[in-house]
Amino acid sequence: MNRDPHQQARELIACGSQGLTDSQQAWLHTHLDECASCRDYSQAAEQFVRSLRSVPVAADRALVRTTQMRVRLHADQLRHRQERMWLVWMSCILVGLSAAITTPFLWRGFEWLGRSAHVSNPVWQVGFMVFWISPALAASLIFLARGIHLTDANGTSRG
Amino acid sequence: MNAAACYFVNGMESETSAIARGLRRRDPELLDRLIEQYQHRLLRYLIYLTSNRELAEDMFQETWIRVLERGHQYDPKYEFSTWLLSIARHLTVDYLRRKKPASLDGLLNEEEGASLDPPDLRPSALQLIARQEQAEQISAALVGIAAEYREAIVLRFQEGLALDEIAAVTGAPLGTVKSRLYRGLNALLPLLKGAQA
Repeated sequence: MNRDPHQQARELIACGSQGLTDSQQAWLHTHLDECASCRDYSQAAEQFVRSLRSVPVAADRALVRTTQMRVRLHADQLRHRQERMWLVWMSCILVGLSAAITTPFLWRGFEWLGRSAHVSNPVWQVGFMVFWISPALAASLIFLARGIHLTDANGTSRG
Repeated sequence: MNAAACYFVNGMESETSAIARGLRRRDPELLDRLIEQYQHRLLRYLIYLTSNRELAEDMFQETWIRVLERGHQYDPKYEFSTWLLSIARHLTVDYLRRKKPASLDGLLNEEEGASLDPPDLRPSALQLIARQEQAEQISAALVGIAAEYREAIVLRFQEGLALDEIAAVTGAPLGTVKSRLYRGLNALLPLLKGAQA
């Protein structure tokens, strides 16, 4: 299919000379030598690019400094949040380990207490469960109650 | 690939790798340096994208906050500037969609005629007037064309991005980028001619 050579030339001009292959550039040069209308178009495009690059749009110092300050502040907040999360994870791991080690001893302790007090097995077993689960329940309640505060303190510095 | 080109590519890769490492560490010195280095390019792009200097300055700050938060996602295979401009673009388009659920043109119509208000660079009074007039003509002509054409033209001819880099920033196929440049230039040149006549 033969395309309109003028449209093809203008499409190549619009891509900019750096975006063209050698053969495209050679074809374009030949076409521009022969076609005054496309040559005018090319010159107008070049003139536009020169003018566009000469438009002095610049960021001012205040904007740059404010941005740098905001970024540093936000980086600090993110670092603190990461540190807190690290502490929370470490606490969880320690609590898990401690529970795994002490649970068998506690179980035997409750069993001994149950026998000494002459109570039935389900009673001391329920007592063990309550004792065993109460720290986790208390911690969950504290986390729930302080959740919003923690988010605020980490995410949007409240001072 | 010849030795000079190979050296250049390796140099660029090591620079982008250093940026990627610094971004993963959230290195404040690196971020300060990047903000300094890319300040004008980013702001220029945002001004032409939004046609509103104040909004562009807000987006400028938000872009760097996002760079800090998402720094670990930067792939050093690509130029940092391409990644930066694509973040700026996503943020701006999201903001404009939330603000007004229409295309970017909706905002442009609202603010039609608004000058980009380039700052003074303290040349002579005559130069200043000529430059100001030229800047106003360019700004007015750019505001007069569709936002997607303006964006492609600014990225290509002002920021000097390659066609594939423009495709990466805008998320558009290469053919669409070429078509936007062609249509944009076709729409723009008569406007500039009209302004100069």
